[in-house]
Amino acid sequence: MTRAPFTWAGFRRGLRMGLALGLPILVYGLAFGMVAAQVQIGWATALGMSVTIFSGSAQLALVSLMQGGTATLWTAAAAVLVINARYLLFGATLRPWLSAAGPARALPSLLLLGDANWIATMRAAERGEEDRAYLAGTGVMLMTGWLTGTLIGAVFGSVLPDPRALGADLMLPAFAASMMTVMVRSRAALIPVAVGAGAALVVAQLAGHAWGIVGAGVAGAAVAALTARPGGRG
Amino acid sequence: MMMPPLWQLMLVAGLAALVCRLGGYLAMRFLPASPRLDAALRATPVAVMAGITAMALAAGGLVEALALGAAVALTALTRNDVGAAVAGVAVAAGLRALGL
Repeated sequence: MTRAPFTWAGFRRGLRMGLALGLPILVYGLAFGMVAAQVQIGWATALGMSVTIFSGSAQLALVSLMQGGTATLWTAAAAVLVINARYLLFGATLRPWLSAAGPARALPSLLLLGDANWIATMRAAERGEEDRAYLAGTGVMLMTGWLTGTLIGAVFGSVLPDPRALGADLMLPAFAASMMTVMVRSRAALIPVAVGAGAALVVAQLAGHAWGIVGAGVAGAAVAALTARPGGRG
Repeated sequence: MMMPPLWQLMLVAGLAALVCRLGGYLAMRFLPASPRLDAALRATPVAVMAGITAMALAAGGLVEALALGAAVALTALTRNDVGAAVAGVAVAAGLRALGL
């Protein structure tokens, strides 16, 4: 079996895409760094969390467990698993495209997986991107933004801008809305859109935003699987 | 109750994050390929994107609706999804600066 390309050119295309995604993530990194500073977590610890967990919502959950004094190894693991369960779905959907790079390249690339670059990479794959280094390229920019923001926020604290004023909270939804718009190429593609939107609203109401994402993906996948014509291309 | 040492908390949290990033990808190895699985995997990204958009609209107000509406409309007009998304964020920042 020939391996799919994994080159500097693809990595750089990912970096370029990641630039647009990384800037708002830097702003969110600032916010996490500030929270960490407020609860007396040192900059080195905050940076360590950002490297190893690399997920804003999971890190904030962990910090609040620590602050409340209720952090045990179980609650820490459970909080991260529950909040990041959506990455299981993201990894599964990347498999058909990413596995062509071979495990030695695919698995390290997945360490840099985030919401924004999953969306961007699925969109790129749909557009015909062959180079599997694209994911790592986008991920390096996200990680760079996240770590830079964390460090500046933890060290300089309160002199920083409000993420909302900069519109950073709308970065992920805006990319999702735009990329969804180009990817809906037929009337049939509106079915997962409607199912995903409906499921997200219901599940988010019951279990919060992170599970809303899982609900959207699982419901969209289930409806597509059930309505697929066996043998046909759906 | 005593909290475990920080390094242990971070180790466990880091491992949990790793499991989530790799688990779905690795588990797919054991799922036999089928047209239904194919259709499910192809529908998932668009469903998630719609879900994220819908949750942002539900949680937001006029500013969020105008910003995301601009992102969708500009994408439909220009087919440049990245430019349209950045423009949508700029719309939100601009409207908030005006006090909306």
